[in-house]
Amino acid sequence: MTMTEQGCSNFESDEARWAALMAAAQAGDEADYRLLLSEVSEVVNRYLRVRFGNHHFIEDCVQDILVAIHQARHTYDPRRRFRPWLFAIVRHKAIDTLRRQRSHQNTLDRHREEQLIQVQDTAPAQLEAGVVHGRLIDALSPPYREAITLTKIDGLSVAEAAAQLSISESTLKVRVHRAIGRLKRLVEADSV
Amino acid sequence: MSSREDLISALSSDLQSVRPVVNIDLMAAAWLVLSALYVVAATHWFGPIRPNAFSQLAAEPRFLVETLCGVAAITLTAFTAFRAAIPGALTSRFAIVALVLMGVWLACYGIGLVSPALEPSMLGKRAHCIWETFVYGLPPVLLAFVFTRRLYPLQPLQTAMAFGLAAGMIPALYMQIACMYVPAHLLQFHILPGLMVVFVGATIARFGRYPRSGD
Repeated sequence: MTMTEQGCSNFESDEARWAALMAAAQAGDEADYRLLLSEVSEVVNRYLRVRFGNHHFIEDCVQDILVAIHQARHTYDPRRRFRPWLFAIVRHKAIDTLRRQRSHQNTLDRHREEQLIQVQDTAPAQLEAGVVHGRLIDALSPPYREAITLTKIDGLSVAEAAAQLSISESTLKVRVHRAIGRLKRLVEADSV
Repeated sequence: MSSREDLISALSSDLQSVRPVVNIDLMAAAWLVLSALYVVAATHWFGPIRPNAFSQLAAEPRFLVETLCGVAAITLTAFTAFRAAIPGALTSRFAIVALVLMGVWLACYGIGLVSPALEPSMLGKRAHCIWETFVYGLPPVLLAFVFTRRLYPLQPLQTAMAFGLAAGMIPALYMQIACMYVPAHLLQFHILPGLMVVFVGATIARFGRYPRSGD
């Protein structure tokens, strides 16, 4: 078997396996779904890194795509091929992330400029106060800011916060998870 | 454990089974048939149709081609809209063909201003055809949103506008048979209100609870 034939064979076997795994996931099979998401996340990660480089937001994008796959899993028709369905989501989410990344980066740049001016007066102990009073939270993009404010500051439950934002609970959990990660990085950046 | 592994664990734990959507083309065909039947029934219910319209379809080849072109354009637009509500189901080639066909159909009426397909006549004039066309297009666009409420349009606004176009053009096309045939009248009182339904679709997508893939 030549390299090309081997490649085509792998391509087709992946296609058939993923289609079968997704059909099993639609029936509620957790193990198959976990395997599918693991394999797909690796493929998507490579796909994005080849196209966009090794940027820090790639991991966020991969996780966004996993959530989108989860939310859209009922729209996969087992009679159709899996890859067009998957990569339609991947391309859409990648563009979406890039767009958000640009606007988030602008916000972050503005915030850092302000921090540079204030840095001499800022004691490390005040950083936590900054989080609580919203100074660092303001640097988050609006979806993350809303998620963290409602759940961690206003004290709403996940279900209540998700209902208020008209999003699913899983999306809210991901946003809170990301917001915390970003706040950690902001605090570390401020500490330097 | 990395955060990605955490996420995969969270998503796959307590996994509920989901019912896969029905064949999207079947859904589009069902919507098209229901919408067309409703528009024909409503048009006949609220007023008589042009007496010689169906004999004109048989006797005037250009009028027949124009009408069939409209049927094909609306059908492809409807299939485009439904396919757009599912990731990866719509190819750009299919969408372009639908758009071009819609353009060709509408261009027929533009050409009709200079060289009409039928002898212009006031026969069959309906007093409120402009409002009829617009109002008859509303239930089909709402029905399309009901049909696709569980789906996952990657471009909700464009998808909703395509639904509006298909829904608005059904009564616009049937009004060419039901009402008087004068090209300027067709464009102003039938096609224009049909196109206004596109904005209704866009408004529903923007302010309604239409599924947004970005959420």
